[in-house]
Amino acid sequence: MADGDGAAETDPGRVFAGFDALPNGAAVWDEAGALLFANRAFRQSFDFALPVGLPYARFLTAVAASREWRLPVPPDIWITEQAAAFGEESEADYKSADGRVVRMSVAPIDGGGAATMLSDVTAAERREATLLAAKEKAEAVDEAKSRFLRAANHDLRQPLAALKIMIFNCMRETDDARRRDLLHGMDVSVSVMEDLLGALLQIGQLDAGRIKPRIATFQLSTLFERLEIQFRHQAADKGLRLRIVGARAAVSSDRALLERILSNIVANALRFTDVGGVLVGCRRRGDGLRIDVVDTGRGVAPEDQERIFDEFFRAADDRRLEKTGLGLGLNIVKRLSDLLGHRIQLQSAPGVGSRFSVFVPLGNVWHSEVVETEVNEAVAGEFVGAPILLVEDDDALREAMGQLLDRWGVDRRSAAGAEEAAAIVAGGFRPRLIIADYSIRKSTGLDVIAHVRGVSEAEIPACIITADAEPGVVERVRAASLPLMVKPVSPPRLRVMMHHLLFEQDPA
Amino acid sequence: MVDAFIPIGSMVPLTGPSAADGAEFRKGVILAAEEVNARGGLLGRPIKPIFADTGRQGAEDVVAAARTLIGTHKVHAIVNGYNIGPQNSEYEPVAEAGVIYIHANTLLQHHDTVMSDPERYFGCFMTDPADYWYGPGFLKFISWLRDTGQWKPSSNRIAIVSGSKPYSIVIAQAMASSAAKFGWRVCFGPELVQTPTSDWREALDAIRATKPAVIANTHFYSGDLASFQLQFMERPTDSLVYLQYGAMHQSFSDVAQSKGVGVLTSTVIGLLRDEMGRSFASRYVARFGEGSTPHIGCQSYSALHHYVLAASLAGGSAGPGGFEQNRKVAKALKAVIYRSVSGTIRYDEQWQAAAPYPVVSQDPSLGLPHLFFQIQDYRKPLALIAPEPFNTDRFVLPPWIDARG
Repeated sequence: MADGDGAAETDPGRVFAGFDALPNGAAVWDEAGALLFANRAFRQSFDFALPVGLPYARFLTAVAASREWRLPVPPDIWITEQAAAFGEESEADYKSADGRVVRMSVAPIDGGGAATMLSDVTAAERREATLLAAKEKAEAVDEAKSRFLRAANHDLRQPLAALKIMIFNCMRETDDARRRDLLHGMDVSVSVMEDLLGALLQIGQLDAGRIKPRIATFQLSTLFERLEIQFRHQAADKGLRLRIVGARAAVSSDRALLERILSNIVANALRFTDVGGVLVGCRRRGDGLRIDVVDTGRGVAPEDQERIFDEFFRAADDRRLEKTGLGLGLNIVKRLSDLLGHRIQLQSAPGVGSRFSVFVPLGNVWHSEVVETEVNEAVAGEFVGAPILLVEDDDALREAMGQLLDRWGVDRRSAAGAEEAAAIVAGGFRPRLIIADYSIRKSTGLDVIAHVRGVSEAEIPACIITADAEPGVVERVRAASLPLMVKPVSPPRLRVMMHHLLFEQDPA
Repeated sequence: MVDAFIPIGSMVPLTGPSAADGAEFRKGVILAAEEVNARGGLLGRPIKPIFADTGRQGAEDVVAAARTLIGTHKVHAIVNGYNIGPQNSEYEPVAEAGVIYIHANTLLQHHDTVMSDPERYFGCFMTDPADYWYGPGFLKFISWLRDTGQWKPSSNRIAIVSGSKPYSIVIAQAMASSAAKFGWRVCFGPELVQTPTSDWREALDAIRATKPAVIANTHFYSGDLASFQLQFMERPTDSLVYLQYGAMHQSFSDVAQSKGVGVLTSTVIGLLRDEMGRSFASRYVARFGEGSTPHIGCQSYSALHHYVLAASLAGGSAGPGGFEQNRKVAKALKAVIYRSVSGTIRYDEQWQAAAPYPVVSQDPSLGLPHLFFQIQDYRKPLALIAPEPFNTDRFVLPPWIDARG
């Protein structure tokens, strides 16, 4: 290889072509800071010309003037700093105008001068950011878990300790009454722990950002109805009056989360009220609605009114002895209302009572979601609630017809024979319609109808169904002025017949 | 050439008390068929409408019409407006033949019949929402008037009178059961009055005694409703008056005249007054002459266009016995969301009925609008006052209500 060394030295054009093929930008500056060479990728990174001999300071000025890179310091300072550091090793990342991240590395060249490298590190940066976010999330979850454990430790200890003592005592107790008392006490301790775990779980979910509100428009009245059902007994047990004033407004919120806010406030109000009652109502305030929970309870001291929403807050004079609150309910209220953007207000005077208010935006009634259940004839058909007596001795047929009537929402009683029908009527059931098979054991549908009408002292509409339309049967039914249907009875025919007997004066 | 055209049946009352509506349903089908055929038909085959008279629209009349269309004419589908009275008994011949049936009967029982055996009734579709939806829709409407301050009710009391047809009973009960959610209290009824009747005085006297802010009558015969309104006006109270559907008809205003001004009414399937609706109306009147009523003909017109689109997507239609192909058509009917001249027809997967806007769908592009009208000038078309974005007019206080409130 005689000319091997010579070949490596010659043809700088091929060397430059090789540099041009690189995806990263590369430039070489001489010891005086004049540009010797810039490859294609380097030139394409800027929209200004890069002639050979361009001074490094001029290059920096052009970069700053192009505003393509977001500089960490004002442009003139950046230019001065970079120019002063020429020839020293450095590395910095710049966000470019098109959203990429460009890394500029400067390396000194032996014997003077410097080489500049540009590389696109956008993807790497993103990966790093994602990793960081994941790490932060993991830490938050970890923190939430620690808090959960601390809280559990804090509040589970007491009922747990009580439980241990009671179990121990219960094992040796021979007196039944005292044993029952201990079991009741254990039951209470377990419910306290249950409530605590439930509340902690909710807070844990809130902390972990797992609760995502779904904002919709709905009638507040539907939520009030549920509150009433939920707390009616609890209030009555305590001898308190719970009054929920009907609401007509449509509101815009998350139905389930708003319910949790209000139920926590109402539960709290009932817990801290010994005499009087709790009132739930609402008032229009500007373009929003203020939902109030007013109680005649112990009230909150002025100095506690801020802190009452804190985790595990308990007032100094808290004299709850039995199944007590856990100091978490109002914290959940606070977190949920923050999540939903609903302002919470407290007005309270010790010994007089409190008013907790939640401010929610009003919704457009047209967009109100009123359809909660599947609409069908069992809940909304024409026969809903109509009391009907069905007399049929064939078990399968009675079952099938019964199912059909149930599907139509009828208030149905079925009897297999005359005695059973008589017993149903004797029990106080007053049908508006009787559907009777003609031939039932030992008697006919005509007899049953006559009997029920007699007991009820009313000409209750009725019809006869029969499997054999022999002339004698038809004649007898006609003589009793009753309509007759021949089996099998199709649902549409039965429907038409029932409609006419129930609602039209003139049976078709 | 039996196969040259596709026979499409239509069951319409061409005689009897509903003959006026029946004539419009027939025109709607004719116009849609002409438009489809002008564009090349259903995958290249022209469609031919065949009409069967349902007369008084009882179960026997309608079942006989269905049997004739299927048995004699071998129709691939039956498409029409409404028939009052068959109580779904016509679903049986349709189910046995496995053809498609689209109607505008506006009945809740459609949901139950279809859902009781979806396999059997796969081909039965209702192109408009069930009567039930009139109830919550009406409550939303009056609550909207109240909440936006367009009207200040004298109280939260509402009086409900029902006719004796299932449709009226279902609507009256739906109104009553929805009232409390919106802050209304039913102070009277739902009171069932035997219909048809032209004498409402007894019911009106009882209603007046309860001092209601709203009076709703769910009977739907235009003549009977006109009598109700005239008798209400003998001693009007400070109440909004809502009269179910029949007050939409010209025949209502012909009788009630200026005393009907202020009355509210609604329909769950009507003709929109946008560019599409107006264009349809002018084509309809050009084809059938002045005096024809496109706002009724639009029901069968839209249903037929929707059917043809779906059948084309499914790869064609089939006559009686063609279960496999018609199941594909039924599937396509549910998949094709069709913006008709009445608004969007989107069949609910289970109900096989159009979902209403805004009671069920809060998205106007996915529900058929429940349109509310007010008679503001009895010689002119009714004012379309709700819901947005379809309304073209504003509510005005009825002349019998004291504006000083």
